[in-house]
Parts: sequence; structure tokens; C-alpha cells
Amino acid sequence: MSVTEAPVPAPIAASPQLSRTELEASGAAPLLCLFAGAALWLLLASLLALLDSVKLHSAAFLASSPMWTYGRVHAAGDTALLYGFCLPAALGVGLWLLCRLGRARLAGPAVATVGALGWNAAVAAGVWAILRGGGTGYEVFEMPGAVAPLLLASYLLIGICGLMTFRHREAGPLYPSQWFVIGALFWFAWIFSTAALLLLGSPVRGVLQALVNWWYEHNLDTVFLGFAGLAPVFYFIPKLSRRPLHSYYQAALAFWMLALAGSWGGIPGGAPLPAWLAAASLVGTVLTVIPIAAVALNLYVTIGDALPALDGGPALRFTCAGLIFWVVAGAQQVAGALPSVGNLTDFTWFTTAQRDLFRNGFAAMTMFGAIYYIAPRLADAKCNAPDGLWKRSLTRLHFGLMLAGVGLGYVALLVAGVFQGVAFQNPANSFTAVMRGTMMALRLSALEPLFLTLGTMVFLLNFALLLNGCRARCRRESPAVAGMRKEGA
Amino acid sequence: MNNGPVLFLGLFASMAISWVTFVLGPLAQMGNLQPARTVAALPADYPNSPPGLAAQGAEVYRACGCAYCHTQQVRPSELGPDLARGWGVRRSVAHDYIFDRTAMPGSLRLGPDLANAGLRMDAMAVLARLWDPRLVNNLDAAHSMMPSYRYLFDVRKIGRAPSANALPVRPEFAPPEGSEIVPRPAARALAAYVAGLRQEPYLFEAPPPPGAVNTNAPASGTNAPPNGTNATNGTNATNGTNATVLPGGTNAPNPQSAIRNPQSTHDP
Repeated sequence: MSVTEAPVPAPIAASPQLSRTELEASGAAPLLCLFAGAALWLLLASLLALLDSVKLHSAAFLASSPMWTYGRVHAAGDTALLYGFCLPAALGVGLWLLCRLGRARLAGPAVATVGALGWNAAVAAGVWAILRGGGTGYEVFEMPGAVAPLLLASYLLIGICGLMTFRHREAGPLYPSQWFVIGALFWFAWIFSTAALLLLGSPVRGVLQALVNWWYEHNLDTVFLGFAGLAPVFYFIPKLSRRPLHSYYQAALAFWMLALAGSWGGIPGGAPLPAWLAAASLVGTVLTVIPIAAVALNLYVTIGDALPALDGGPALRFTCAGLIFWVVAGAQQVAGALPSVGNLTDFTWFTTAQRDLFRNGFAAMTMFGAIYYIAPRLADAKCNAPDGLWKRSLTRLHFGLMLAGVGLGYVALLVAGVFQGVAFQNPANSFTAVMRGTMMALRLSALEPLFLTLGTMVFLLNFALLLNGCRARCRRESPAVAGMRKEGA
Repeated sequence: MNNGPVLFLGLFASMAISWVTFVLGPLAQMGNLQPARTVAALPADYPNSPPGLAAQGAEVYRACGCAYCHTQQVRPSELGPDLARGWGVRRSVAHDYIFDRTAMPGSLRLGPDLANAGLRMDAMAVLARLWDPRLVNNLDAAHSMMPSYRYLFDVRKIGRAPSANALPVRPEFAPPEGSEIVPRPAARALAAYVAGLRQEPYLFEAPPPPGAVNTNAPASGTNAPPNGTNATNGTNATNGTNATVLPGGTNAPNPQSAIRNPQSTHDP
């Protein structure tokens, strides 16, 4: 195929066999289930993060309760955010993209629904176990071994539905979003099974556990979430700004470099490991400059001078903000990997700032952008103006809260991290004095979970209103139409 | 790239390269790491497996998520001031973790590194920090942001005889009159674990700094905290045996003897 024919996401109605309505309706149940669950988990994750911040400032708060101790709440919050929110949202968005870009019905919606329910049940059990003290001690891999098989099985159910949908796609060139979704689907299965085997199944010796843990976390963030978040970015930005994607080759370059270089990293410079591992990690992380630049340039040129003229729908606004956060977080990751910076910033809030920006900024914002586009089309596939189903004021409020929360939290933690790193260098500053110096910035950063909690509540309200409105409209329709729709589903 | 199998193979190859480099390679290199001879040629190779109570304490450390604030990895002096801060005598190396059931080197320092906590604190000092870090008699500790771990302790009425394990506290923060603070078994295990953390003997991959007179042989022979490094209270130099410096600044003759809240409070 020639390059020029690929880049535009083709209009969906072109398919002779399947109408858009049928396509959208095919995945309604599992995808809405995934999205609703994800939003509830994000609310819980933000509440746990808020509780964590409070505990940093008032040490006696809930001190008599083992369940709400800082380390457990932190681990549970991370787990709820990554496994409760990011993964299901990414899977839902990915399945939808595979349906739409491949012009195929979702394969096995019942299987996917079972997978979604199983996944959420497993995460609930995992978070509960962590709060009860059953965490594994591996960062972002805290859920105990007993729930790992259920997690993996549920993931495979959903993933296989995705692959079957992909297999039944209409013949024709693939669009970059499809590579990214497929990449994400495989990547998580590989890294999760490796981590489960080598950390929980038959644990490796000593510091190798930490190595596997670091490798897993880096792959989860940089490659899996990177792929999963960039898939909707590559779909929605060209589509909603009504411009063809600037370059297919740049997208391919970004994809392969992210897979190759993004999967090398996460080992701190001074780690108690052979030096070649830290060096390899440094090389890989620095090379991620290439995908970052390629994606940023590609999409910047794609939007071009259309930027001010955009109608500012929520999907595009969230997606663009998410993309900007991805670029900033990626650039910071590269900077932090350089020894001259990393020696100052390792083990400080600097790294936390970067991870939070990546998860709450990039992953959450792009997922919400996609959900704002997808959910009304699933809930009411026949509606002519699906975007109007959202309450506009609530959408704007949600965006404002998320942007303010993520932005404030990021800047505050970044300042705290740099101060902490610089002050730490002088051994004459006692450690407590160094930490005391970060307190003001830390207080400010507590606004991030607060704003995210409020924002997610606003989103959930909006989502409930949307579903309720669709149901009411469905009832008003003649029974014959309702019956037909049921068949379509 | 319009071909599903090509996409899959490319992804699989990328994944495999990363996996071989960061998982399989290191596993082949260090998967069967054994205790090593020390530079000082101590009779025992380093490290030894921890005693039972400390091993239980490691599980408490894991379950409470201590690693979210405390690292256990000391960087070499060219990468950071960890050694200059007295957090260790040498950098951490892979050998130090051989017997860790769960390796928890951590990634964020909201509290000091604990790789060599045993060189700075004894179990009683750890317990005092768990009850309330701000009560530790040290100017800096008053501003510590570490949470209190009250749930690791029981506050109970003194029975006929005071408990042998009760925690000494400063009079002004003492429990209600006639009560004592007794660490639960989990707290005692955790304290034993933290007080046992030390990455001390020089190894061939972590040699003594050039010019330094070897070695730590004598210190490794005993479980006592070395002289003058007791962080609880630097002013009360202990005699280097098992004497405990209490948070209140009093010297207990024996850590096993309980000091509750005496009715006759204020005199040490």
C-alpha cells in the first residue's frame, strides 16, 4: 500500500454490512461496565491519595488503625488507580477503537463482560488484601498472589475478545491506533505474567526481585500506558480536528521506538546491581526522546493552524491536555535518567511528580477524553447529537478540576523534589530539615487528590445523568423500536 | 505494517529483547548468588540469614508498607551523599539482599535510608520511633513527619508486676497513670528486623575506600551497636554493650527492664 492512503480514519458508515448503530451497540454492555467501574475506582484512588496526603501532614491521624496506615493506603491507592482505573479504561477504549477502526462488531461481548466483572472483583479483593496487610511489598505489583490468576484470566478474556475483533476487521490498511491497541494488549499480558511468575510464583533471589519489579513498573507506565493512551490520541486528534494525520511513518517510528527503547529503563543509577544494567536503562530511557519528539511533532503538524478554531468539545480538549502531559512527563523522565540530574533527584518527590503526571495527567485525561466521545454513542447509538447528551457545564467543571489538580500537584511536587534533592546534597542539612523544607509544597500538592476526587464525582454525576437520560428515552420509544434495538445489542 | 502477524512478531521481538536484557541476563548472572568472602576474610561468609524474629519483622515491614518512605540502598559516594550522611560504610551491592524474602530497596526517601539502621539504632530506639517519632529526644525528631504506629502497641494497666517489655516514654507524654505501653509481638519483630539491618563487611565489589584502614571485623563479631553511633541520643555515649539510651535521655540499666509511667514521675 502507499503511504498516502493510510492516515485518515475512514468514516464508519462506509461499511456495507454493518451500520454505525449496530457497531456501537455491539459493545455497549461490556464497555459501559468497564468505564463505570473505572470511574468508581478512580474516585476511590483519589480518596485514598487524599487520605495519604493528610497523613503526611498530621502524623497522629488514624494512627491507631493498621488498615489506614500510610504505606498500606499508598499501596492501595496506587493499585486502585492503575489496576482499577487505568487498565479497565484502557481496555474499554482499546476494544472500542478496534471495533470502529476495523469496522467489526465486538467479538464475544458476553465474554468481555464476564472478564470486566472478574477483573473488577479481583482488583477489589486485591485492594482489600493490601489494606489488611497482605500486600506483596512490590511497588505497583502489590496485589497478593491469590488474586493474580483471576486478574490474568479476566484480562485474557477481554484481550482475546479484542484480538478476535481485530481478526474480523475489514480488509485494508491498519491505522496507527490499531497498532497501539494491539501492542498494549500483548504488552500487559507479557509483563504481568513475567512479574507474577518471578515475584509470586517462584520468586527470584534477593535484589533480582527489585529488578523485576522496576522493569515491570517501567514497562507498565512507559510502554503499556503509553500505547494505551496514545491509541485514542492518534484517533481523536486527527478525527476531531478534521485533519488527516500528518505522517504515517513518524507514527510508525514512534510506535517501534517506544516498544524498543521504552521497555528499557526504570533502574536507578545507584542501584545495588551490576553497572551494565543501570547503563542499559539509561540508554533506553534517553532514546525515548525519539518517540516523544515524533509523536509531538506529528500531532502538532496535524492540528496545525486549526488549533484556535477547534470547537472545544470535551473529547478533544481532554485528549490534547493528555498529550501535552505525556510530552512533559516523558521529557522529565529522560532528564531524570541523566546521571547529572538523577543523582540529585533520585529518591525524591521529583520521581513522584513525574509518575503522577503520567498517570493522573496523561493516562486519566486521554481516557476521559475517549470516554466523553464513546460513552454517549454506546448508551444511545441512535442519537443524532450524542455529544449533547453530556451536561456541558459539568463537563467543563470536570476538565477545569482535573487540569487545575494535575497542574498544581505536578508543579508543587516538582518544586518539592528539586528542593529536596538539592538540600539533601549537603550533609550538614539534617534529613528532617530537608523534609521540613518541602512541607509547604507538599501541602499545596494535597490539592491534587482533592481536585481529582471532586472532578471524578462530577464525572460520575454526569455519567449517571447520561445513562438515566438514555434509559428514559428508550422507554418512551415504541416497543417495536425498543425490541429491534435489543436484537441489535 | 498492515499485516497482523508482522505486527505481532515485531512486538514479540521488542518484548523479547527487553526481557532477555533485563530479566533473563541478570538472572543468569546473579540468579544463584551465594554468600561471599569478605575483604577482611572473616571466618563467616557474608551475609548470614537473619534470625527468626527479624525474619518475622521483615514481613511486618512489608505489610505496613514501610518501603514507601524508607529506602534500603546506599549509593556509592560519587552518586550521592548517602555515605557522607553516615547511612553506611560502603555502597549497597547485590550480595546484601540474598536472604531477603522480599527485597524492598524502595524508591522514595521520605525518611532516612534504613540499609544500615542497625548501626545507628537498637531495638528499643526503633520501638520508641514507632510509638511516636517526635518524642525521641533529639532536636530534629520533633519535626519528623513519620506517622505514629500506635496500633503496634497496647496501652494497659500495670498489673501486679510491670511488663518486662514495656516501652519507656518521656514523662510528659506518658500513658495515664498506672498504665504502661507494651509493644505487641509484631512491633518487637519489626524492631528486631530494623535493628538488625546492616550492610557492613567490605566485599570485593564494595571495597573499603582507598587509604582506609581495614576493616570492620570486630564490629561484625557482635550484635551491639558500635560506640557513639547511637542515634537516639548522641550526648549520652553508651559503653558499647547492650545499654540502651532511652528517649527520655535516661540510661536504662537493662533494656529488658520495664520503665512504665512511674507514679513518682519526673526524676530519671
